[in-house]
Parts: sequence; structure tokens; C-alpha cells
Amino acid sequence: MDAISKQAVEAKMKYCEVCHGASGQGFQGYYPIPRLAGQQPDYIKNQLEAFDERRRVNPIMFNVAHVLSPAMQTALATNFHEFNPKPFGGGQKDLVAAGQKIFEEGIAKSDVPPCASCHGPQAKGDGQFPRLAGQLPDYVFKKLTNWSKERGQDPAKPDTSAIMEPIAHGLTEPQIKAVAAYLSYLE
Amino acid sequence: MKLNSYRRCRPGGDHSKVNEESIDPSFRRARTGTLIKRPGRRVLHVAGLRLALQLAVLTILFFAAGRADAAVVAKSAVEAKLAYCQDCHGLTGQGYRGFFPIPRLAGQQVEYLENQLRAFVEGRRPNPIMSNVAHVLSPSMITALAEKFRDFNPGPLGGAPKDLIAKGQKIFQEGVPDANVAACAACHGPKALGYEQIPRLAGQLYPYLIKELTNWSKERGQNPAKPDTSFIMAPVAHSLTRPQVEAVAAYLSDLK
Repeated sequence: MDAISKQAVEAKMKYCEVCHGASGQGFQGYYPIPRLAGQQPDYIKNQLEAFDERRRVNPIMFNVAHVLSPAMQTALATNFHEFNPKPFGGGQKDLVAAGQKIFEEGIAKSDVPPCASCHGPQAKGDGQFPRLAGQLPDYVFKKLTNWSKERGQDPAKPDTSAIMEPIAHGLTEPQIKAVAAYLSYLE
Repeated sequence: MKLNSYRRCRPGGDHSKVNEESIDPSFRRARTGTLIKRPGRRVLHVAGLRLALQLAVLTILFFAAGRADAAVVAKSAVEAKLAYCQDCHGLTGQGYRGFFPIPRLAGQQVEYLENQLRAFVEGRRPNPIMSNVAHVLSPSMITALAEKFRDFNPGPLGGAPKDLIAKGQKIFQEGVPDANVAACAACHGPKALGYEQIPRLAGQLYPYLIKELTNWSKERGQNPAKPDTSFIMAPVAHSLTRPQVEAVAAYLSDLK
């Protein structure tokens, strides 16, 4: 593995922060750009690989990921994991209670397990399961409603994104909005 | 009616305000109780009604002063101010290549325009001409003007070298990952229309875009006591080379 210079990593971090916000807090631009702060390093690395291999389709992130060496990816993921800015907030406040219920209990009649069972009781994630705490509500909404069109797009290379497919499918849009609202305020 | 035309002639005046001096002198003559003998004038020779009218006027004045800026800006005031903006920014806010390149305002995000006008006033974006312009604008006037300009949609002024456009499009859509230049489209949108505080770039003037990008950290965020969101663009402007800036500017200046 090539060694990478500290300056190269810092320069690349600054570049990521242009879109992902200071300290990776996330940014509501034309697109909702996700929070990276406190994210599980394994998850970030998996997504960068997925973008590069076009298993996760996103033209902008493909170009970003394509030029990153594995060493650089590890360095970036480790650095972002250490950041801890305030949650992005912005979710609809009157939906937070309903969102918490879904997060903690799931929706049995739709075969939706509690999110907490994999993402952790505080939505901090674990290993390849992403942290959701403090994530942008518009981002969570977009990803969950769009799951099968964006993830696992290379049939020759199935990936673990398949786990979320039935869950994303089983949730209704109002339920997704509620969960997104709840997550947006979590520290 | 003579009273209204008198008011319209007062330069820069807020036309919702009325004071005794501006009222046609024929009213005052009526206070002595004599009948007003002008053609078309009627009624107000009864002292009681005279007093009621004066009280009503005073009440309106009080009310207007108390509510201050929460008041709706008079349509004629906005039209007058708009004409003044158009003098420099072009008849449809299309922009103008004067001695300075004066930016397009047409189709611009309301929140961005509001932020810039505030930045001029607060010295966060130093510009002697625009700080004088912005200084006298009330918040409601700012919003009214921003909404007017948002609704204009003239074609781009154009005029940039055409051979740079393709290269500019690539930078706009993909950024320059090796040079750590973020893709403009990620925040400004795929058609460069902007979003809330993020400005529209489509159809912006070629020399203006070059000026802003090459001069960013010397012009924006200049009040250290009041840091603003202009810091987001600083690394982008810094990392772009001059040829890359010209290419992106050429592409954007051609976009509808």
C-alpha cells in the first residue's frame, strides 16, 4: 500500500467538506448531501467502492471515488469517523415520536424489523451498518424511497445493500418521513 | 383627483404617508367653515366631518409608523426601485458589460440576493457602489426586489469563447477530482439553477464569473467578526486554475 502524505489527506478532506459540510455535518444543496461525521469507517469505504464499481449509481460520487487509492479511502473514513458536530436537524418535529416508535419497534405487520436491531439503539451503526444519527432528513427520505434504483445496480456483483431492500420496500412514505425526522435530531 | 397627483410628484417619498402640509390647500380653507367652491368638491364644510377625517388620517399615520417595516412596500416604490436597479443590471436583469461586469440578476435565488444585499451593508462583501445601494433598502423592499428579479427570464448575454464550453461543462458536472475541485453541479444543481442560498449560475456573465472566482477570498467573507457561508466556495476558487475558471465561466455564461 502506498503511503500517503498528511497534506494530501488534509487537502482531500477539505475537498470533501466543500459538499459534505464543515466537519462532515452534511449540507442541503440542490441535492441533500449526507452527513459523514461519526460514520462507520467500514461503511464509508464500502460506499466509495460501490460508487467506483457503479454498484451504487451516482455520477458525481463516481468521479470522486474513482481517483481515491485504498490508503486514501481508509484515511478519509478514519478522519470523518472522529468528527462529532451537532446533528443536522430539520426533520418535521411532530413526526419525531412516531419515527422513534418505528425505529425501536419496527412495523410487525409489514415485516419491517426495528431499525435499532442492526443500526444500534442510538443509531450509531456498527461495522458495515451505517450510523444514521444526525443524518439529513431529506437524504434519508430520498435513499429509502429510492433504494432499489440506486443500490445493488450491478447484477453480476450483488452486494449487502440487498439487506435493506425489503425494508425500504415495506415502509410507506409517511413512515419514512417519520423515521427520517427522528434520526435528524439524534446526537 | 388633484390630491393624488400631488403626492405622486414627491421624489422618493413613501406614498402611504400623508401629512397636513401635503394636503391640497383647499382643504384648509374649509376649516374656517366656508364652502369649498372648487368644481367637483363636495360635502366637507361640516366641522364634525372635517375633524373625523383628520383623526382618521392621524390614526393611519400612527399605525403605519408603529408597524414600521412590517408594512407592505408600496407597489410604486418597488417599481421605482426596480427601474433604478435595471439601470445597471439591465432591463430584464440580464446583466451588463460596463466598465465593470455587472451581474445578471434574472432568475436568481431570492435567498441568495437577500444574503448578498445584507453582505454589502455589513461590509462582509466590500463594494462601494453596492453598499450604498443596499444601505437604504428595507428588508421588505429587498424581498420584493428579489422576487421581481427571480421571475425574469431573458436569454443569456453570452459572448464567451465558444471553444471553451465543452471543457467547462465537464468541470461543472464532474469537478476535477485529482485537483480536489468539487463538482459545481453537486451544490448548484445539474442546470446551475441554484437552491435557496446557493446562487443560480446559468446565464451569468463570463467576465463576472471569472472576476468572482479569481478574486473570491479578497472580496467575500471580509468581516472577520461576522463569518458567513462564503467560506464554502473558498477552497473551490483557490483550487481552480485560471484556464479552468475561464472554461467553467464560458459554459455557464451560455446556459439558459
